[in-house]
Amino acid sequence: MPGVVVRGLSKSYGPVQALRGIDMVVEPGDFAVLLGPSGCGKSTLLNAIAGLDDIDAGSIEIGGAEVTQREPSERGIAMVFQSYALYPTMTVRRNLSFGLRVRSVPKPEIQRRVAWVSELLQIGGMLDRKPSQLSGGQRQRVAIGRALVQQAKVFLLDEPLSNLDAKLRTEMRAELKRLHRSLGATIIYVTHDQIEAMTLATRIAVMRAGRIEQYATPDVLYERPATLFVAGFVGSPGMNFLSGSIGRASVPVVRIEADAIPLDGYPFCAPFVDGREVVFGIRPEHVSLADHETRGSVIEAETLFIEPMGPDTLGWFQYGSQRISARLPPQRARGLSATVRLALDIGQVSLFDPTTERRL
Amino acid sequence: MSANGGPARIGRLGLYAFLIGTALFFAIPLLVVISTSLKSLDEIRAFSIFVPPSSPDFAAWWKAWYAACTGLNCGGVHVGFWNSVRILIPSVTLSVLAGALNGYALSHWRVPGADLILLALLLGAFIPYQVILYPLVKITSTIGIYSSLAGIIAVHILFGLPVMTLLFRNFYAGLPDELVKAARVDGAGFWRIFASVMLPLSVNILIVATILQTTGIWNDYLLGLIFAGRENQPMTVQLNAIATTSTGEIEYNVNMAAALLTALPPLLVYFASGRFFVRGITAGAVKG
Repeated sequence: MPGVVVRGLSKSYGPVQALRGIDMVVEPGDFAVLLGPSGCGKSTLLNAIAGLDDIDAGSIEIGGAEVTQREPSERGIAMVFQSYALYPTMTVRRNLSFGLRVRSVPKPEIQRRVAWVSELLQIGGMLDRKPSQLSGGQRQRVAIGRALVQQAKVFLLDEPLSNLDAKLRTEMRAELKRLHRSLGATIIYVTHDQIEAMTLATRIAVMRAGRIEQYATPDVLYERPATLFVAGFVGSPGMNFLSGSIGRASVPVVRIEADAIPLDGYPFCAPFVDGREVVFGIRPEHVSLADHETRGSVIEAETLFIEPMGPDTLGWFQYGSQRISARLPPQRARGLSATVRLALDIGQVSLFDPTTERRL
Repeated sequence: MSANGGPARIGRLGLYAFLIGTALFFAIPLLVVISTSLKSLDEIRAFSIFVPPSSPDFAAWWKAWYAACTGLNCGGVHVGFWNSVRILIPSVTLSVLAGALNGYALSHWRVPGADLILLALLLGAFIPYQVILYPLVKITSTIGIYSSLAGIIAVHILFGLPVMTLLFRNFYAGLPDELVKAARVDGAGFWRIFASVMLPLSVNILIVATILQTTGIWNDYLLGLIFAGRENQPMTVQLNAIATTSTGEIEYNVNMAAALLTALPPLLVYFASGRFFVRGITAGAVKG
């Protein structure tokens, strides 16, 4: 089974460094997602893996073979583009079979594969139509089908769902997940949508300014973000960041505003320095309204406003000079008093160095 | 607009009166040419040029086509017509295809120095060709195609290239880059993408380019006169020779008929393809 190995990949456009020494291993059968804001280099990386862009330094292996100097068509990849890039003058059938015809695949084999794909993606009824006669969702299916007929080792998808409306996007997301499961294919997928990334990926690479900030499973990425950027980028509504310092009482504590919050068993991955400045990160769902019997880390804050989101409500509070949000059950969020006691789930926090922005 | 007359209606009437008046004014030369070509020589001499023919006939047309004289050759303009066709077809086909290929390469492939090439083409499109006639005569005679069919065709292709390339480059630059990328991933190379993906998308712009080149090359006089040689003189050159022949009496009706016959092909091309022309120009404008 083929995977993808990227080593020391660099690429610049004039003075702009688009990729800076990317190292990445995509295991066979992985669904790897490149996630990041626009301009972070994720599409550039995908194009480099595809061989559509020249690279300045580094190497790329696909399925154990060195492909750095090979043409896109000789790398054993298939690709789905953001704009679908269907050939406008060809029917769906000819769009699907174009690559096979270029490679002189025998006719019966072409027919067999087109039939297989149109069955798999339910596009059998539109084989003789032109792309302009299809809806967005149908074009998307054809674009995926055109990649699938290649029976490539690795599939590269560049923001394939970003042109669809919200409902279709959810449907196609589930469809992609099903395809990945049933085909067991290796997929590299570019998106700026963290929900797409979290739902689809087996591993996510969060990118920023041409570097990979963290490459991990969705769970690890969400629960133990490696940098402040990852912590802030993944998760909606975003993580709370409070500035404070760490110190030692009877146990290690983090001092924020006037409080000293004990850090029971926080897994430090950097040496503990008394008095060190930190950024204390906690997700809104790990902040709750404290009951009378709640023990441990409770802080007092003033209620600012609430944002109902349906299944739960986001409450915003003023905590000393800083702000903190909490994800609350809607019925409890109604009629909050002016001052509330908030309980922090210390088992779920992340601490970061404010200058290096790395996890402590 | 008001339904019961008023200033708007009067304004509109004035507008139509003006438009019809100017249309008639500009049509006068054409109408005179047509009416004169249908008269006999006696009638032309006897009456004003504005009097319509009393018994219109096509004798002058027949003579212009088959028997008008240029110097000692009295074969009519049909000789020139076929020369023009022989020049036109390869010149138009090759210059349009070469322009399309250039435009495609410059817009979708990283050509070293593409910007410089574009700049050179832009200059080429705006330099009056009289400036480079003499060097071109020397060049063509050095490589041995001066005064031949191949010579005039080569010259037409050369002069057509800048505008054709710019036209196609602007059109192709408007097509998404991902189309070419998709085709590359599908395994198609430079030529296959051009033939299977780009050209089928270019029907409208191909029609525009063909019309531009057809009218330009058909109406050309100077290049045909200089580079085609005596055997391949295009229709325009022959027409001029007929009209300026100074021996004997001047057959105005035959001259007029020959002029009309010469002007007819581009006119027909326009009528046949005007719809596409407008569509293609706007497509190019919006996407370029």
